[in-house]
Amino acid sequence: MKKFLTWAFFMVLILAAVAFCAFLYFIPPFFIEPPETFSKAQNDAAPAVADIADPAERAIAEHGRYLVVTSGCIGCHQMPGPKGPQFDKYLAGGLKFLTHDGTYVTRNLTPDKDTGLARRNDDEVKRVLRSGVFPDGHVAPYRLMPWGSYTNWTEEDRHAVVVYLRHLPAVRHQIPEPAAPSPFRDPTAFEEVYGGADYGGAKGH
Amino acid sequence: MKRPTEHRSGRAITLGTAAVLLVGALGAARTEIHGQPAPTPAAAAAPSEAEARGKRVYDTHCVECHGRTGRGDGPASPMLVPRPRDFTTGRYKLRSTETGSIPTDEDLLRTVRQGVYGSAMPAWEKVLSDADIQDVVVYIKTWSPRFATERAASVALGAQVPSSPESIARGQEVFAKLRCGSCHGTDGRGTGAIATEFEDDRKQPLRAADLTEPWTFHGGPAARDIYLRFRVGMTGTPMPSFAGAASDADMWDLANYVVSLARKPVWSMNAEEITALYAREAAEAKADPIRRGKYLVDTHLCAVCHSPLDRDGKIMPGMKLAGGQLIRVLPFGDYPTCNLTSDKETGLGRWTDDQIKRVITTGIRPNGVRLPPFPMDWSAFSAMTPDDLNAMVAYLRTVPPVSNTIPEMTRPFLPMYLWGKFKMLVLQDDPPIMFYSGNVGTRGGAR
Repeated sequence: MKKFLTWAFFMVLILAAVAFCAFLYFIPPFFIEPPETFSKAQNDAAPAVADIADPAERAIAEHGRYLVVTSGCIGCHQMPGPKGPQFDKYLAGGLKFLTHDGTYVTRNLTPDKDTGLARRNDDEVKRVLRSGVFPDGHVAPYRLMPWGSYTNWTEEDRHAVVVYLRHLPAVRHQIPEPAAPSPFRDPTAFEEVYGGADYGGAKGH
Repeated sequence: MKRPTEHRSGRAITLGTAAVLLVGALGAARTEIHGQPAPTPAAAAAPSEAEARGKRVYDTHCVECHGRTGRGDGPASPMLVPRPRDFTTGRYKLRSTETGSIPTDEDLLRTVRQGVYGSAMPAWEKVLSDADIQDVVVYIKTWSPRFATERAASVALGAQVPSSPESIARGQEVFAKLRCGSCHGTDGRGTGAIATEFEDDRKQPLRAADLTEPWTFHGGPAARDIYLRFRVGMTGTPMPSFAGAASDADMWDLANYVVSLARKPVWSMNAEEITALYAREAAEAKADPIRRGKYLVDTHLCAVCHSPLDRDGKIMPGMKLAGGQLIRVLPFGDYPTCNLTSDKETGLGRWTDDQIKRVITTGIRPNGVRLPPFPMDWSAFSAMTPDDLNAMVAYLRTVPPVSNTIPEMTRPFLPMYLWGKFKMLVLQDDPPIMFYSGNVGTRGGAR
């Protein structure tokens, strides 16, 4: 009897282990929903522009919204959370990038006056989008903040993007300044992106 | 904060430091002997202090586009239209000097201070001190020996003809007589032009200016700036000097006419005008989907990942959109980027339009494999209008074929895969996405 119990116990243990491995194997990477549901949640998260009083501003912001949504700003500037992207904090930044030049966390693009773009004038924001030159003078590698692509926007489209960003709900989210390079997990890699946790608030990895 | 671009690679730092130390030592020696700073024009002699300071500014702010050797081949350069200036040739577009000659210091200073409108060159006066700008101009002149041997003198401007309806009308006749419309279009917007896309003398892409958008004029929007472009031409581009073909007064009239072509920019428009502008842009996009598609591909980051990279992060020559960049998404596997050129065997040549659109908008490849939502941002692209999607596909069909066989995505060894997922789901570890330089395709060698 005792022998049988021990045997059964180990069988259950092995079965549980196999079941757990199967669970790990079959749980889909990154997302559960079908792509359409996933996309809809993400694209609907971009705040609408209907509340803007000035009709000219509203028309430009509408155009800017299309550009912001389709250009993938959210891919890097969305604050991630343990249960998926925190869409209530749209474009508030927080992904960490390791490069051979330094460690960067994506900036807060909402118009928060202490931590966001309200500290920057239109020229400064457009200069980043057009030339990768930040207000402190440093030049971002063209593919990190991918200004190498956004520089091809017409000046008018770039303006529309900035107008839309100015109308996002402000989110207070302090982003740490770029720091010295961190060691890479794989030193042969060119750059590494960490997107699972919120790296705003000056936390280390 | 450390300037990140300063330590792009250890070797560059060492070389840079050595150069600065050497220059500093020489500068000190000269100061001791002569009791005064080195004279500026002696480019053949030891570098001056201004040059050393200029090198530091250059290495921090300019290399991303103009490259470490000043050839205009920095990591970002393949993405840019127009391409960054190659300083080694001594040939400059924006000059106040005769065709073929070098620019004056004032020309160079002006370009650095104000930037080049309609390009990625920013107005550095907003970021750098004027002393830094003067130093960097001293430094960039050392790239070309022409500055040591030739003298630059601004051309004498003819008496400015003030703008008036008569002058503008005369300018319109000059516009027709000089056949400006063959590149800029009869309306200044490219309508009826023989071509608006060109190559410069280095075979780099270039487009004719839209004369109704003065905020994109490389040399500046004022009548004097425009007059200068007619007077001395833009070296290295199809834009010639008209000094022999038109009188000074003609060129001033023409400048006044071009100024008069300007339309309102969107930031000065009222709501009706904005709606009309966007409607016009949408109609033009529909009429010329390939042009619209090129704009979309250029602005939607495609080439950033779908091109193989060298060690500096620069797209390998001739391999733009040819895929082959390795992206490792831990723990899910290696995702080499697809070849987006129209190559029949290795690119999109055999894909149907629907297959291309499906992967762009849902991340589902023709073989059923689903891509993670990052870095291939299919969820963002799914918000594109059907017209824009069609335009993007139409343009991708026209990208010249480059043969680059891309390997299939690979999963890691099963226990590693399970361990990675365990760390991610249970230990809440943050798995990275890693980008590699090199080309995992068959062309251009492995990393």
